Amino acid sequence: MKNILIVARRETGAYFGTPIAWIFIALQVAILSFFFFLYSPFFIIESADMRVWFGLTPFTLMVFAPAVTMRLWSEELRTGSTEVLLSLPVKVSDLVIGKWLSSVVVLLASIVCSFGIPMTIGWLSASPVDWGPIIGGYIGTMLAGMMFLALGCWVSAMSHNQVVSLLVGVTAGIVLVLALSPDFAMFLSASNESMARAVESLGVQAHFRSIERGVLAISDVIYFLSGTCFFLVLTMFQVELKKQ
Amino acid sequence: MTDDTQGGTMTAQPAATRSTALIEATGLSRSFGETRAAESVGFEVRRGEILGFLGPNGAGKSTTLRMITGLLAPDEGAAKICGIDVTENPIEAKQKFGYLPESIPLYDEMEVEEYLRFVGSARGMTGSDLDKGVDRMVDRLGLVQMLRRRCGTLSKGFRQRVGLAQALIHDPDVVILDEPTNGLDPRQIIEVRDLIRDLAKDCAVIFSTHILQEIAAICSRIIVIHSGRLIADGTPDELTGSSSESWQIVTRGEGVPEELCAEMQLSEGNPGAPGETIHRWNGDSAPDLNALEKRLEEAGTSLLQAGRGRESLEQVYLRLTAGEEPKR
Repeated sequence: MKNILIVARRETGAYFGTPIAWIFIALQVAILSFFFFLYSPFFIIESADMRVWFGLTPFTLMVFAPAVTMRLWSEELRTGSTEVLLSLPVKVSDLVIGKWLSSVVVLLASIVCSFGIPMTIGWLSASPVDWGPIIGGYIGTMLAGMMFLALGCWVSAMSHNQVVSLLVGVTAGIVLVLALSPDFAMFLSASNESMARAVESLGVQAHFRSIERGVLAISDVIYFLSGTCFFLVLTMFQVELKKQ
Repeated sequence: MTDDTQGGTMTAQPAATRSTALIEATGLSRSFGETRAAESVGFEVRRGEILGFLGPNGAGKSTTLRMITGLLAPDEGAAKICGIDVTENPIEAKQKFGYLPESIPLYDEMEVEEYLRFVGSARGMTGSDLDKGVDRMVDRLGLVQMLRRRCGTLSKGFRQRVGLAQALIHDPDVVILDEPTNGLDPRQIIEVRDLIRDLAKDCAVIFSTHILQEIAAICSRIIVIHSGRLIADGTPDELTGSSSESWQIVTRGEGVPEELCAEMQLSEGNPGAPGETIHRWNGDSAPDLNALEKRLEEAGTSLLQAGRGRESLEQVYLRLTAGEEPKR
């Protein structure tokens, strides 16, 4: 545990000591705010919710998570600093979790930076705000974000080229968000019902939507947490593979 | 001098001293696809020894060092640091050594002190222990002016010093350095050599290089590795003195053509001074110089010098790595 924190602190320092984290947070909040104010019925019917915001979140995470994680392993593999890192008496699992945790800190910072939106809604809205879906949306963002970041870590450990890591990470994200989507499941259900159910349950959107509605079902939480663990374990294998 | 030397050296060690070896490599082999990068490499290093790991570029030096540090899994064989197997107990073994890779990778965005503190704490150092470790390294490697500098802005020489500092911060029993003087200016090279000499007083040092003068200057023992195989293992004196009884025949130009060497009881030629080629006399008794001179002239060259003598380390190295290429 101590080593996880040592690694996480170094990586977090690297994120916030360079412009990477700040650019990521600013872009994430700016893009979501832009679409939120463009498409939300907030100013027309004073609908005091953030459905548009959270509806877009899986799509922004799909792109931004691999952008945050792409440097975590690829950069080390390129410069060769993995040689020093792996010669330290620290377990590979601690290295993997520590690095991933630092990217979660960046996500958390971007979530905190977006709190201005719900606060504005609460302040401006004439009708009482239903906080359930908003809190649910943030929990969903955190859970889905953790999974996307773990996926990004794995992809980053595969290549010493950051651009390759980003592109593969985004492609994998597209599969999870768009290919395994409820719309595609609906299309499949006409021909193969069980396949449709499998597609929907494997995809991010179905799980994210139910949390976003304010329903924190245990199955959705398990989906995101087990997905996170799955990709972190894959990352550990990937790093161990470097010895082979 | 092939595997026999290695076997001889290994078996000649008395049982009592063998147990004090801090680095033990036995039968390390590793392939990358079709290429055999290391083949049955075995040696031991004791406290107080500086082992020079010598070989041409691409000979398998880094591969062997990486297997010893546990960064690369061997196909066969095992490596132990202070008696701990690096594959079975990697965390315990890694606690015992410090390693500087060839490319000196540092985290460019980190300040020097921050970096040393990170490495120290990842090695389990805390509080005053860590402070002392950092101070000791800063003093020893002259980093005091650089503490607040980002690693990415350091010159090559200072990068090397920071790299050494991270390898030594926890006062390890074993220090493994991959080409530590590569790319340094002469003053820096001398400083690093002095440091290595100083280190060896209380630990085992192994360092790789392809610079012969370096080996001759500081090593108490030399291992020559070529095409993945260990082809010589001994003190500098043993290596240069092993041929002290043999005659050297210095010839003009390209020397005796390869196909005539065996017939003339000469070894294949190795380059000597410019325009000269050196052969060893393989005959049982001293050569008849008059007859030899005549034969050399028939072979299209001429005798410049002949005599008994120790080979220089350069000659030994050239003979080992070119003249007697191991059969694969």
